[in-house]
Amino acid sequence: MKTKSNLLALVLVFAAHFLFAQEKTITGTVTSAVDNQLLLGVNVFVKNGTNGAQTDFDGNYSILAQPGQTLVFSYLGMKSYEVVVDNRTIINVVLEEDIASLQEVVVEGYRTVGKEKSVISGVTVTSEALEGRPNASVVQSLSGQIAGLDIQTASGQPGANSLVQIRGVNSINGNTEPLFLMDGIPINEDNFRSLNPNDILSVSVIKDAAGTSIFGSRGANGVIVIKTKRGAQGSPFRINYTGIQSFSSLQGNDYNFMSAQDYLRLERERNVGRGASMTDAEITAQPNTDWMDFFLRTGITQNHTLSFKQGGENSATYTSLGYFNQEGLLKNTGLQRFTFRNNLNGNSSNGKFSYAANFTANYSKNDQVDDIGSFGVLTNAFFGAFSSIPYFTPEDYQGGQDLFDRGFNLAFTPLYIMDRLNTLTFLEEEVKIVAGFSSEYELAKNLRAKINFGGDYENTTILFSQRPEAYWSLLLADDGNDTAGFQDQSSIRDFSFNSTLSLNYNKSFGDHTLDATVFTDYFKAHSRVFGYRANGLDARSFFPGDGSGFIADNSDNDFFVDSANANRLDAGLFSYFGNVDYDYDTRYGISATLRRDASYRFATTNRWGTFYSVGARWNISNESFMENSAFNELKLRVSYGTTGNQRITGNDYFSGADLPFSFFGTGRGYGGANAIFSTQIGNNTLKWEEVTQTNIGVDFGVFKNRLRGSIDVYDKKTEGLFQSQPISLINAQSTISANVGDITNRGIDWTLQYDLIKKENLRLTLNFVGNYNENELSNLPSEIGEILGVGRNDGRIGEFKTVRYVGVNPANGNLLFLDGDGNLTEDPDFDRDAVWTNKSNTPDATGSFGFNFNYKGFYLDTQWNYVIGIDRFDGILEEILDVNLLGSLQISKDILNAWTPDNRITDIPSLDATNNTFDGSDRFLRSADYLRLRFLNVGYIFPKEFLKGTGLTNLKIFGSAENLLTFSEWRGFDAESRAGTRVYPTPRILSFGIELGL
Amino acid sequence: MKIIKFIFCLVIFTACEDAIDIEQVGRITPELAFQSLQDLQDGLSGVYGAYDAVQDIALSSRYTDEVAVGIASGGQGFDEYAFQLNSTSPASFIFWSRGYLELNRVNRLIDGAEFVSPSADEQDRYNNILGQAYALRAYSHFKLLSYYSTDLSDDNALGVIAVDFVPTIDQFLLRNTNGEVFDLIEADLDRAEGLLLEERNTTFVSKDFITALRARMATYRGQYGPAATYARQLLEDYPLANREQYRNMFLDTDNTEIIFKLERTDGDSYDIASNTSFISSAGRAGGKFSFNNITPDGGVFFEMGRSLFNLFDEEDVRFEVNVSSSSVISPDYQNSTDFANEDILVVAKYPGSEEQALMNDLKIFRSSEMLLILAEAEANNGNINGTSNSTAAYIKQLHDARFTTEQPLPSYTNETEAFAAILDERRIEFAFEGHRYHDIKRLGVRADQGVLRDPLDCAFNGACELPAIDHRFTLPIPLDELNANPGLREQQNPGY
Repeated sequence: MKTKSNLLALVLVFAAHFLFAQEKTITGTVTSAVDNQLLLGVNVFVKNGTNGAQTDFDGNYSILAQPGQTLVFSYLGMKSYEVVVDNRTIINVVLEEDIASLQEVVVEGYRTVGKEKSVISGVTVTSEALEGRPNASVVQSLSGQIAGLDIQTASGQPGANSLVQIRGVNSINGNTEPLFLMDGIPINEDNFRSLNPNDILSVSVIKDAAGTSIFGSRGANGVIVIKTKRGAQGSPFRINYTGIQSFSSLQGNDYNFMSAQDYLRLERERNVGRGASMTDAEITAQPNTDWMDFFLRTGITQNHTLSFKQGGENSATYTSLGYFNQEGLLKNTGLQRFTFRNNLNGNSSNGKFSYAANFTANYSKNDQVDDIGSFGVLTNAFFGAFSSIPYFTPEDYQGGQDLFDRGFNLAFTPLYIMDRLNTLTFLEEEVKIVAGFSSEYELAKNLRAKINFGGDYENTTILFSQRPEAYWSLLLADDGNDTAGFQDQSSIRDFSFNSTLSLNYNKSFGDHTLDATVFTDYFKAHSRVFGYRANGLDARSFFPGDGSGFIADNSDNDFFVDSANANRLDAGLFSYFGNVDYDYDTRYGISATLRRDASYRFATTNRWGTFYSVGARWNISNESFMENSAFNELKLRVSYGTTGNQRITGNDYFSGADLPFSFFGTGRGYGGANAIFSTQIGNNTLKWEEVTQTNIGVDFGVFKNRLRGSIDVYDKKTEGLFQSQPISLINAQSTISANVGDITNRGIDWTLQYDLIKKENLRLTLNFVGNYNENELSNLPSEIGEILGVGRNDGRIGEFKTVRYVGVNPANGNLLFLDGDGNLTEDPDFDRDAVWTNKSNTPDATGSFGFNFNYKGFYLDTQWNYVIGIDRFDGILEEILDVNLLGSLQISKDILNAWTPDNRITDIPSLDATNNTFDGSDRFLRSADYLRLRFLNVGYIFPKEFLKGTGLTNLKIFGSAENLLTFSEWRGFDAESRAGTRVYPTPRILSFGIELGL
Repeated sequence: MKIIKFIFCLVIFTACEDAIDIEQVGRITPELAFQSLQDLQDGLSGVYGAYDAVQDIALSSRYTDEVAVGIASGGQGFDEYAFQLNSTSPASFIFWSRGYLELNRVNRLIDGAEFVSPSADEQDRYNNILGQAYALRAYSHFKLLSYYSTDLSDDNALGVIAVDFVPTIDQFLLRNTNGEVFDLIEADLDRAEGLLLEERNTTFVSKDFITALRARMATYRGQYGPAATYARQLLEDYPLANREQYRNMFLDTDNTEIIFKLERTDGDSYDIASNTSFISSAGRAGGKFSFNNITPDGGVFFEMGRSLFNLFDEEDVRFEVNVSSSSVISPDYQNSTDFANEDILVVAKYPGSEEQALMNDLKIFRSSEMLLILAEAEANNGNINGTSNSTAAYIKQLHDARFTTEQPLPSYTNETEAFAAILDERRIEFAFEGHRYHDIKRLGVRADQGVLRDPLDCAFNGACELPAIDHRFTLPIPLDELNANPGLREQQNPGY
């Protein structure tokens, strides 16, 4: 109804004015109830009449009307307001926000339809939920906001990629991330560091087959549709500035690390290391270095966005400039970014032709460190931060040569890391351009043609250098090479181009509406990589990124032979598809999609895949028998369909480009001579992974929409998983890539909102978002139905297989385990005694709850995220409870509670336990379930009166906190990260910001 | 351009196929791999590139009594040193997978040769390439048999899968009998002999390679008559090296005694540090014993076993070739208080060449093997003593070449003693050359010997002996093969 009335208003605005004698001029202002601001561009028109007007900058309107006529005030996002004209000539109106209307439209990928008429399961988050967040990547801000959308941010490195999965894990070796479309253009789902989150208007997540099958080959993991901001036609020039200053700091841990004094006393007790021969006084006098403090910092982030919006009669623009500079927690790391966006849209004056052009060009500089998460004590900086012995001090570092001369010692870890950070440069610079154009033309009545094309271009240059005086250079140098060290530079250019052409027919016959569209979709991607390594650097003239210090090859040795590399890959897809949507009286609807897809990746016989879906809805609340029910909305949706995954080997368009084919290649052969030999044996039966999904959902609103939401249940099965299948070694390899095995994800998504308080100036809304998902493997390519690291048939993906640890034997302090039969043993054997645990690092349930509170201009939003049913190995815990590492790495105070004849009941084994080196048990497999105050945002929007005379149209100040509080049994730095042991923890971030408009 | 093409391809649907008809660059399709003689020559280079022998060297040293744990050991190869062997062991996997990798490359080359029609003046070279391929196919099959067949002298025993074709990924074949595999080998050798151009060539397959392979194969099969004939034939052209030549042979500067060796050169794909933990990895030969070089400080993780060291005579040139002059030798090692540090016997056989430490050519056939085949043949015939045509005489001949002075003629009281002498002589002559494992399997029973380590070398793990009849002298079919090809489970070797 709303859409209709808006349309009507538009018609009226442009219609000629017929004046009647009784008419009089009515004026007034229109104010928003939300923030008491005067509203610009509100449509004001006479119901069933011809007169119309819009409010100006100051919210003023002026309209001619007769007494007894009804004036309608309508504004997007606000509830329409109607008032009967009486003898007043001034009518001031306050419009209330219409929460439901913000979600009234459903983004269905290639189109946007009214919510009532949509059959799909999808959720849209608008800019309000994303703005003001201090995260470098918009994806991180989505965490917890959408049911069934699981965001894993494994690294706190500024600009780090997040793993995004919708409704469980659909593939073992293939891509599991959804398709991301930005203004209709597919973009790299692993790279958001160069995009400005403040430019984003909305993010829509499409989950069920009715919504995804239209994306066929790329929709298997769901689809995320991002729309960027654009100007509104007929709106005045506006400048908006948002500035945010943030402070990132390390989240806490419960490892109970030792002080230098605790450490030395334990060393003395165990007769190990420096403390072995120290007196109490000497121990007290030893320094106590906080290595976390030394290597880490409170990172400061500045984030500025300046945007300009304006709209003329037939066109509108949105332009934004952004600067973002985030210091990482770890010194030496950070992200600096400049962003530019220009979105333009317009139409012909007859409205038959419309177009939009979206362009963003961005540059980012990402300072990184290497080997994060690895076991490299010489390289992984977090070894230095988390595992260093506190009695060493930064002054113990006397340069790489000194370290080299002293010989390797694990205890020197902090010094190695200091050396690494001093001598390493790892810089990624990126230019990212996303440009798209779309236009639509009304060929005939009810018939529209549309084209949408554009590309995503990324040019990344990587500089990686290691100075010659680095310990690591000295260590790896061949005898006689005293100018080791190297510099790598590489350039990676990825470009993807997509073009979609469609023809749409839409017609209503009485209560029947038919919408039919045919599409073709063309996709092509190119990757070009080249680089070099220069071996040998002269410390005197070397500077990272420069070649002055390169040492040339000579005839004496091969120390300084440089190397070059290059790679060139192409990828492509072609599809044609159609969608038919039928509606009867907004009560019943059915939608069907059929799609044919071809991928460059498969042999001609398996190249084409056919995917389809059918979806249906019943708008129960529109039935006459529901007229007086509490339900203002009740809709039942059912869908069933298939999608394909052609990215069977993982995370980019190009990997596994031609696995169906056998190849020869050239290379080094006998005695270094050139040779030609078989390099790949193809499997020409390879085909798409196919996902079949059933979804049943209900959308509802009751008590005048005070309680509203959606609940969906789904069952999703991926068949023909791309995995290694054993083949006879007579083929010169033991496995070949094949489509074997299935994985099923079943679960439920819920989204609920409840307006606990709903008064004119006071509102409190509670939000609940969640997903429960079970997954199950079947038909694994293994005789015994299990693959270590993958899981077992009927089990969950990534299930851990371990020997069960029971505790400490009070009799002797040894570790007690259960053997395969469940009997106690002190002498376990992995092959004999390990059992499947039904635990994995894929959670059962994820979600969030929170509230939005508004009082006049003041607001407070909170979001608590939770994850349930996830287990991880705590590698740091394992080390800090290992007394064998005393004298080498940091130790936990927990170890002081070790078993002794006088302390028999404890969970810490005797320090002399004879079986504490067994490492195949679940002793350090810990629950990583957590509840976290993911986000808290508090702010104040200044009332209009306050801004009078300042020239400002709006002013908002706000503060926010990310990851403020976490409740978890997990003892490490970041319960949320599902990555390995010494990864870059995500920080706690406190921010303060201001938004002002001119 | 894209747009124009796109709009165009909407009109004519097929034009859009450029998005899906993508051939990645840099790949050579099988049909185009071999088109000229040069392609075949390069294919042959690829075939040779598949051959390695450091795994044989490592297996024979770790699973027998050639080495002991070295001073710089971090536990490398302890499972292997403890004789642990099952179908998941690297030893089980590597000889099977390498053998079939070699065969795969050979068979692809032989298939590919059909696409090349040599001109008249190319015919000889074409034939020579094919001849080498057939000979190598025979050699690979024989090596597979030597590891995976329980008894080479029994033609009815299970052999390996004979593969004289390019297999497809859906083929799951069972083992052939030894007889069947030998028939294929003999046919390949006959064919190769007719095609090869060269009589001799130390680093490529020549007719002499075929003779040497036939000699060894006949010996392994217990067919001593033919074995002796082939061996004698080669000894006419390949005299034993003198002491200087012998030293230089292991520096890769003398080929007097070499019938065939695999060339290893600076910058080739084997010029890398080998992973030291398992026998299976490729790399420099000396890297199977030391990390860096052949000095006590060179990262020695496997040193010479004391029981082998004790067999050496310091006057024997083989002593200096096998034991690094920088070794620390305890005169009274059994009473040493710190045996590990006071007795460091660094293996010197692979000192390095071309200024690359630890990198040496891999000797496959040497004339001393032919001489010892004659000694073995005589022992088999009962001619153990005597100044000529006897085991003793051939042993003396070898000794005379290795010592500065003429050596006494040995005398054996019985056949067992003669075979023991042959086994000991082979142990010294071919130390760290990959023979010991096969020799104990072949001759151990007749010599009444097995693996016997010095008690001090095995005190830490108790793995001191392995009798010659132990099932572990035949490798198990690897689990990776059984997983793909479960029919072979029925044909797994005994004991596994």
